[in-house]
Amino acid sequence: MTRLQVGIDVGSTTVKAVVVDPETREILWKDYQRHETRQPEMVLDFLVRIGAAFPEASREDLAIYMTGSGSSPLCEPVGARFVQEVNAVTIAVENLHPDVQSVVELGGQDAKIIIFNTNEETGERTAFTSMNDKCASGTGATIDKCMLKVGMAPEEVQKILFDPSKLHHVAAKCGVFAETDIVNLVKSGIPAPEIMNSLADAIVHQNLSVLTRGNTLKSKVLLLGGPNCYLPFLQDCWRLRIPETWSERGYEYDKDVDIADLIIIPEDSQYYAAYGGVLFGIADVSNTEDVCYRGLDALKEYMTSGRAERLAASAGKPLVKTEDELAEFIDEYTIPKFIQPDIPAGTVVRGVVGLDGGSTSSKAVLMDEEGTILRKAYRLSKGNPIQDTKEILAELKQMVADEGAELDVIGFGATGYAAAVLEESVKADVNIVETIAHMQSARSVYPDVDVVCDIGGQDIKVLFMEHGDIKDFKLSNQCSAGNGMLLQAMADQFGVPIVDYADVAFGAPLSPKFSYGCAVFLDSDRVNFQKEGYSKEELLAGLALVLPKNVWQYVVGVPRMAEFGTKFVLQGGTQKNLAAVKAQVDYIKERVPDAEVLVHPHCGEAGAIGAARETLRVVKKRGHSTFIGLQQAIDLEYTTINDESTVCHFCPNECSRTFIDTITPDGSSSRYISGFSCEKGTVESKEALKVLHKEKKELRAQYPNLIEFETDLAFKHWYEPTPMPSAGTPMRDTEVKRGLLGRVKRRLISRGFERSSSADAAFRKSIKIGMPRVLNMYSTAPLWRTYFETLGLRKNNIIWSVESSEEMFTEGGKYGSVDPCYPSKVVQAHIHDLIFEKHEGRRTGPLNYIFFPGLTHVPTWVSHVMDSASCPIVAGTPKVIKAAFTKEVDFFARAGIEYIDTACILTERHLFNDQMWNDWGERLRVTRDEHDHAIKEAWKALEGWEQTVQDRGREVIEDLEATGRLGVLVIGRPYHQDPGLHHGIPDELQALGYPILSMRSIPKDAKWLAKYMQDEVDSGLIDDVFDLRDVWPENYSSNSVQKVWAARFAARHPNVVVLDLSSFKCGHDAPSYGLVDEIMKGGRTPRLIMHDIDANKPGGSIVIRTKTFAYSLELEAEKLEQQRERFAQLKARLQERMQQMQSASTAPPNLDGRGRLHVIPQQEMSP
Amino acid sequence: MKLGMLTEDLEGYDALSDKEKEEFDSYALKEAAALGVAESLTQWFDENPQGFTKDEKDHITIWNSGLSWSTDLFVSAALRGIGYHVKTMPVPDQESLRNGKEFGNRGQCNPTYFTVGNLIKHLKGLEASGLSKEEIIKNHTFLTAGACGPCRFGTYVTEYRKALRDSGFEGFRVVLFQQQGGLKQATGDEQGLELNPTFFRSLIKAFLAGDVVNLMAYRIRPYEVVPGSTNAALEQSRELVIQALEESKSVLLAMARCRRIFEAVEVNRLQPKPMVSVIGEFWAMTTEGDGNYHLQRFLEQEGAEVAIQPLVNWVLFILWEQIRDTQRRMELREDDVARKGLSGKEPWKKIAMLRAARVALVGLFKLFANTIGLRGYHLPNMDEIASLAHEHYDNELRGGEGHMEVGKLIDSVEENRAHMVISVKPFGCMPSSGVSDGVQSLISAKYPKAIFLAIETSGDGEVNVQSRVQMMMFKAHQRAQAEFEEAMETTGLDLEQAEEKLSRSWRARRTIHYPPHKLAGTAANQLLELA
Repeated sequence: MTRLQVGIDVGSTTVKAVVVDPETREILWKDYQRHETRQPEMVLDFLVRIGAAFPEASREDLAIYMTGSGSSPLCEPVGARFVQEVNAVTIAVENLHPDVQSVVELGGQDAKIIIFNTNEETGERTAFTSMNDKCASGTGATIDKCMLKVGMAPEEVQKILFDPSKLHHVAAKCGVFAETDIVNLVKSGIPAPEIMNSLADAIVHQNLSVLTRGNTLKSKVLLLGGPNCYLPFLQDCWRLRIPETWSERGYEYDKDVDIADLIIIPEDSQYYAAYGGVLFGIADVSNTEDVCYRGLDALKEYMTSGRAERLAASAGKPLVKTEDELAEFIDEYTIPKFIQPDIPAGTVVRGVVGLDGGSTSSKAVLMDEEGTILRKAYRLSKGNPIQDTKEILAELKQMVADEGAELDVIGFGATGYAAAVLEESVKADVNIVETIAHMQSARSVYPDVDVVCDIGGQDIKVLFMEHGDIKDFKLSNQCSAGNGMLLQAMADQFGVPIVDYADVAFGAPLSPKFSYGCAVFLDSDRVNFQKEGYSKEELLAGLALVLPKNVWQYVVGVPRMAEFGTKFVLQGGTQKNLAAVKAQVDYIKERVPDAEVLVHPHCGEAGAIGAARETLRVVKKRGHSTFIGLQQAIDLEYTTINDESTVCHFCPNECSRTFIDTITPDGSSSRYISGFSCEKGTVESKEALKVLHKEKKELRAQYPNLIEFETDLAFKHWYEPTPMPSAGTPMRDTEVKRGLLGRVKRRLISRGFERSSSADAAFRKSIKIGMPRVLNMYSTAPLWRTYFETLGLRKNNIIWSVESSEEMFTEGGKYGSVDPCYPSKVVQAHIHDLIFEKHEGRRTGPLNYIFFPGLTHVPTWVSHVMDSASCPIVAGTPKVIKAAFTKEVDFFARAGIEYIDTACILTERHLFNDQMWNDWGERLRVTRDEHDHAIKEAWKALEGWEQTVQDRGREVIEDLEATGRLGVLVIGRPYHQDPGLHHGIPDELQALGYPILSMRSIPKDAKWLAKYMQDEVDSGLIDDVFDLRDVWPENYSSNSVQKVWAARFAARHPNVVVLDLSSFKCGHDAPSYGLVDEIMKGGRTPRLIMHDIDANKPGGSIVIRTKTFAYSLELEAEKLEQQRERFAQLKARLQERMQQMQSASTAPPNLDGRGRLHVIPQQEMSP
Repeated sequence: MKLGMLTEDLEGYDALSDKEKEEFDSYALKEAAALGVAESLTQWFDENPQGFTKDEKDHITIWNSGLSWSTDLFVSAALRGIGYHVKTMPVPDQESLRNGKEFGNRGQCNPTYFTVGNLIKHLKGLEASGLSKEEIIKNHTFLTAGACGPCRFGTYVTEYRKALRDSGFEGFRVVLFQQQGGLKQATGDEQGLELNPTFFRSLIKAFLAGDVVNLMAYRIRPYEVVPGSTNAALEQSRELVIQALEESKSVLLAMARCRRIFEAVEVNRLQPKPMVSVIGEFWAMTTEGDGNYHLQRFLEQEGAEVAIQPLVNWVLFILWEQIRDTQRRMELREDDVARKGLSGKEPWKKIAMLRAARVALVGLFKLFANTIGLRGYHLPNMDEIASLAHEHYDNELRGGEGHMEVGKLIDSVEENRAHMVISVKPFGCMPSSGVSDGVQSLISAKYPKAIFLAIETSGDGEVNVQSRVQMMMFKAHQRAQAEFEEAMETTGLDLEQAEEKLSRSWRARRTIHYPPHKLAGTAANQLLELA
C-alpha cells in the first residue's frame, strides 16, 4: 500500500494528529486531546490508536511528521521528521486557502502571524512570518487565566457577544499586567462579559500593534488557533479592529463583501499544523524514504529509561533529601490548628471584625476587646467586594449564633483591595494599608521581628523593621510574580489540588532550575522543562524553589541578607503550602546561618488581624465606631453602574468610571467611584470640580510641586530673545577652508552681519514646526523653542504634542515594531498626535515639519564625568520612529510633512551649531549669522530656565529647613516629568502635604551645597561638590549620573526624602539601582521606590506604596522634630557656654578658625 | 541637620584661641552626645579597588573571559607570553546567568548577567576548591575591557564591583583597559599590568589568531565528511597557537602548521547548505555557549554554514569611529572642549596614527589568513557599511554595534552574502533590541526577499528561539536548494558530473580551498567555479 502520512502536532497544551491519504490528501483519521503535560504518553496513546484504526498498515507503511513546541525531542524515538509549526501552518494555508493574504493564529503560549507577499516583478509569493517571543502576552493562556478570574465557565464565555461600547482598560502587553487589570475590574464590579470583551480587545490591539511588526494584515485574513475558533466575541473583535487598521493605513478592500468573508474562521483549523506537516512530507518526496517510523518500543524506552541520566546534568536539588529531613521539617513548621476559643451560649460577644479583601480571597477575623482571635472566616472572592463582605460577615455572625450566642460588632476595619470601597459603603472605622496591617500582625506575635515577608495571592511584601517599626519596605511591582497565584495556577495545570502541592513536590528526587522573575517567563520555562521530560512532581518542586529567588533576588534585590537581621517571619496564605515554606527556610538559612525563620500562626489572616488590631485601637481612642452595624452591613443593598452615564467628561480622556451605590436598610445611601485616572474623576458635577480645583490651588500654594513648575515653563514661551542684529553690524567670524590633501585651515575675519531677505523672513512666519513632548525634550525644550522663535517663527507656530496618557497611547501606539521601554514606545503616539491631531487641527495645523532631534549627548552639571551621553534608545528613537512611520505607508509624505531627526551632540556647542545648520539653514532660508545668533539665544534660554527653576528650588528647600518639614525629591529621568509616565505619583505625595522637588530645582551653587556635600571634598575623595567619582567612576550616562548625584544630595540633606522613579526595562537606570540603594542607606534617607513603571497606571500599587511611605515619613518627621528640639537645646547650651568663655577670655580673635564642628561617629564619642 | 552647620554660625567662635576652641569643641561634642544629636552617619562611597602593583605581579593570577573560546585561550596565552600569570575562565553558562541575576542589579541586559555572573561563579568555585576569600582577593584579578558608553557595556565594571561586594568578594580587583583608550593607558613603574604597546600588540595578535582559526573551522565543519574531524583539527590548531603565543614564538609559523592540520580534514562542498550570517550584539553573537543557546552549533546542526563576525571587524569599527569623529570635527569653525572635541589636540597626528593602525591591522589579518589557508575572506569596508546604514541609523548614534547591525544587514542582502541573516539581540540590549531591531524591520520590508530573523536571547525560552530559527531555516534551505539547482542549470552540470570534475581538480578539492563568492551558497559557488 501507499504509505499513510501521519501528522502529529504536540503543542503546549494539546496533541493533535491527522492521518492522510497521500494520493487524495484526504484526512482519513483525526483527533485531538489535552496532554496535561504528559506529551510522550499522549503521543504513544495516539500511535496506538492510529495502529488500531489502520490494522492492515505495517510499521513501514507509516510516514510520520511531527510539529509543535513539544515535538522535537520525540521525533528521534518515534522516527518522525520534524517540521517547524509556523512552516507547517503556512503550507496548510497555502494549500487550503490560496487566496488568503494573512493568518493570525493564537495558541496556548504562542501567537503567530503570517503575511503572504507577492513580488510584483516575479509574481513569487513569499511568506513573512512572525511569532511572539517568550513573552506570551496576548495568547490563549492569558484568556484561560482571566476566565478563571472573572469566574465564567468556558460554555458561558463562548456565548459572549462583542460589544465595543462597553470596554474597559486592560493592559495586554503582558499577561501578568492583564491579570492585574482584570482583578481590578472584577473588584470594581464590572460585569464579566464586559471584562472578557475588554480583554479580547486588548489582545487584538496588542497583536495588531506588536506582532505584525508594523505590517498590515491584508484580506483575506484567516483566524486560526483555539481561542480564535471557539470565542465568537474574539472573532468579532478582530472583524472590527482589522478593518479599522485598513482604513487608517489607506488599504483598499472590497467593502461590499461581508466582513465574515474577508476575515474567515475555517473549520477544523486546530488540525492545520498537523495537516501542514503531512503536506510538507508529501511535497518533500526526495526524503520521504528517510522517515522511518520506529514503532512504539523506542518511544516507550525514551519514556521509561534514560530520563534521569539525561536530566541529572542540568537538574537542581530536590526540596528534601531524606525522609528524616522531611519529618523534622514538618514537625517544626506545620502550622498548629486554630483552636477556637469557647463562646458560652447565651452570651453577647463584643468584638471587632478585621477584614482583608485580597485579590483572590477575603479573610476576616473576629477579635475580642483583649485582642484574642475568636473566629476566622475565609472565602474565595466572587468578584464584588461588597458581596464578599456581606457574605463573610454573615458567616461570622452565624458562627457565633451556632454557639447560641449573639454578636455585637463594636468596630470594623478593612485592608486590601476592598478597603477603599468598604470605607465608603459600610463606614469602616479603619482603612489600613496592607503593609502596616501585616506589620502590626507580625509585631503582635513576634515583637522583635526583623523582617516580615508576606506572600499573598498577587503581591509580595517584605518589611524591614527597626525598633519595632518599619525601617524600609520592598513590594513586588505589578510585573513580578513569585506569588501564591503562580503556585496555584501551576498546580491547576497539573490537576493537583493546592492542598496536595507540598506532598507532591516533596516527592520529587530532583528539580528543574527555573529562572526567577516574570510569571509568563516561568510558564515558558515550564513548557521547556516538560519538553525535556521533567515530571509534575519535579516541576512543582522547582517552582517552589524559585519562589525565594523571586522574593529575595527579584523583589528585594539585596543579596546580603544578613544585614536585615536574624528574625524572619513568613506570612500570607502561601505559607500554608509547606513546599514554599521549605524552600524559603532553606534559602534564608543558607545565606543567614543564624536566622530564625518563623511562620505566623495565622499566616493566611495576618492582614485581617492587623486590621482588627488597628480597629480596636482606633475605636478605643475615638470612643465610638463609624461602622454601620453588622446587620445593616449584611443587609446592605448595592448597585454597580458602569455605562455612558458614569463616564467622566472633565477631560478628553473620557475615563470610564464605575459607581457603586449602596443603600443600608435604614435608607442612608453612599456612592463609591472607581476607575478614574485622575482626581477629576472623583467628582460628578462642575460645581464639585470647581471646589476640587480650588482645593488643589491651595494645596499647590502650600506645598509647591516643582516638577509641574519646571515642566510648564519648559514648553511655553517665556524667554524674549535679544533681537537679531541688523544687516551690516560689524562682527568677527572664523573662515574655514579646505587646503591641500583635505587639510583644514581656519582664519579669523571681520565683516558685517548678514541678514536674509524680508521675503525669507515672511516665509518663516508661515512655517509651523511640531515637536514631540517626549524623552530628553523635557530637559532641552527651551533650547528648541527659542532657536526657532529667534529665527522669526511665530511662537504659536511651535507646536508640542500633548502629554502622554493611556488613551493617547491606545489611539496612536500602533506603529511600533520594537518593544523597548515605554518612554520610547509612547513616542509613536506623540508623532501620531502631531500628524493626525495637530497637523489637522484648525489652530495648530498644518505642520510643515516635525522635528525630533536624536540627542546623543546632553549637558550635565556633574563634573569630572567620563562622558555625558544619552541612553542609546533615547538617542536612536527618532530613527526607529522614522522607520515605523515610513515602513508600509510614508505617513509623513502622505500628510505633506517633512520629518527632521537631526542627531545632536549638545555637549559640543560648535559641533551642535553645525549639525543644526546642516538641517535647518536652507529649510528656514536663514543666513549663517542669523542661525548663529539663534543658537546663542537658544542656549541663553536653556540656562535661564535652569536658573529660574533652581531659584524656586532654593526657596522651597530653605523653607523646609526653616520649618523643619520634609520635601520629596523626585529622582528620575527627564521624561518622568510627564504625568503619563509618572502616573501622578508625585501629586499623590503632594496631596499628603509634601512639597515636590525636581532634580533640576536643587541649586547648583557650590557654596550653597557645601554645607551638605563638603565633607568628601575636604577628605579628598572628590574634587568638588559636583564630582561623583567617589561613588561612580563609570559616570558617562548623563541622566543616570544626575540621578545618582541627586540621590547623594538627598542622603546628605535632613529635610529631603526621595521618590525614585524608573521605567520598566530602563537599561541606564539598572546599573544605578545598587548605587542609589547604598547611598540612600548611608544617609538613612526614606525613599519610595517606583521602579518598573510602564504604560498602565498601577493604581493599587501606587496607593499601597504611597500610604506605606507616608507612614514612614510620619515617623521620620517625628524624628526630625525631636532632633530639632534637641538641636535647639544644644544651641542654647553652646551659646551659654560661649558667653561664659567670652566673658572669661581676653584672647585676641583668631581669624583663621573655621568654626566647623566635624561629624564623628556616635560610638566614638561614647565613653 | 549637621552639627557643623550649627557651630558654623555661632557668634564669637572665630574669636576664640586655639586652646579655647579645643575646649569648646570638646564641650560641644559632649553636650551633643548627651542630647543624642551627634551624627553617626557614615555616607557610602565605593572603595573601587583597582589594578595591582609590580611587586604583586609574580603571585597574581589574572583571569580572562568574554569572547569566543579560541580567542579567550589565545589572549591568555599571549599575555602569558609577555610575562603574566593568566588563566582562562570557562564560557559563561546558565549557572553564570543565575549568579549574575542574584548578585547583579535588577533589569540588566543579558550579557551583563552572563559575564558578571561568570566571574562570581568562578570565584565561588575557587573558594569551593579550598582557597580562602582573602587568598582569592589578594592573589587573583580579572581583566576586562571597558568603554565610556553609551550602552551598558561601560558600566560592566560598576556591576562587577556590586556583584563582588554582595557576594562577599569585596576588594577583588577588576583590571580594566579602555577599548577606545589607545595604546598607552595605565603605565608607570608601579603598575603590575602595563597597558602599553606590547600589551596591545599581544592582544591584537591573539584576536587575529582567534579570528582566523575560528573562521577556518566554520568554513570547513559543515562540509566535513567524517563528523568531528574539524573539531579535532580545531583543537590541535588551538594547541599550536597557544604554544607559539606562550613561548613568544612565531604565530605565523603556527598558522602554517595549522593549515596542514585543517588540510587533513576531508570535505564535500557540493552539499547545498544555507549560508547563515550571524550578526547582532557583539557578545551575543560571539559567545559560543548558553548565552546564545549555542546558536552557531544549533545552526550547523540544522544544516547551515555559519558566517560568523570576526573580532577584527569590531576593532576596525572602533578605528573607523575615531577617524570619522576626528575628521567631522576638523571642519568646524572652532574646537569644542568636550570628550571628542579637538581643543588642544593634534587631529592630523591622530588621524595619521589611526590610519596606520588600520593598515597594519588589515595587513596582519590578511597575513594570518593567507598563512592558515583562509583564502578570499572578505573584510568589510567600514566606510561603506557606515554609508549604507546612515540614512536609517545615523552614524552619530553609538553604543553596541552602532549602525553596523543595520549596515551589515543591508550589505549582506545587496551583495548576496548569505541566504539568511540572524541578528542576535540579548534581552535588554539597548542599541540592539531597542534601536536596530526597529530599523531592521524597515530594511527587511525594503528587501522582501531577504530571509531575516531577529532573535532575542534571554537565557531561558530556548525552545521558542530555536523554533523560530527552524521556522526561518526552512525557507533558507529552500533558497539554498533552489540556488544550487539554478547553478546546475546555468552550468549544465548535474551533481554526478560536478563530483567527477571536482575529483579531477586537485586545487578545488583541497580542504582549504574556498570557491570565490558569486552566490550566497558555497556549494553553488563551487559549481560555478567547476564550470
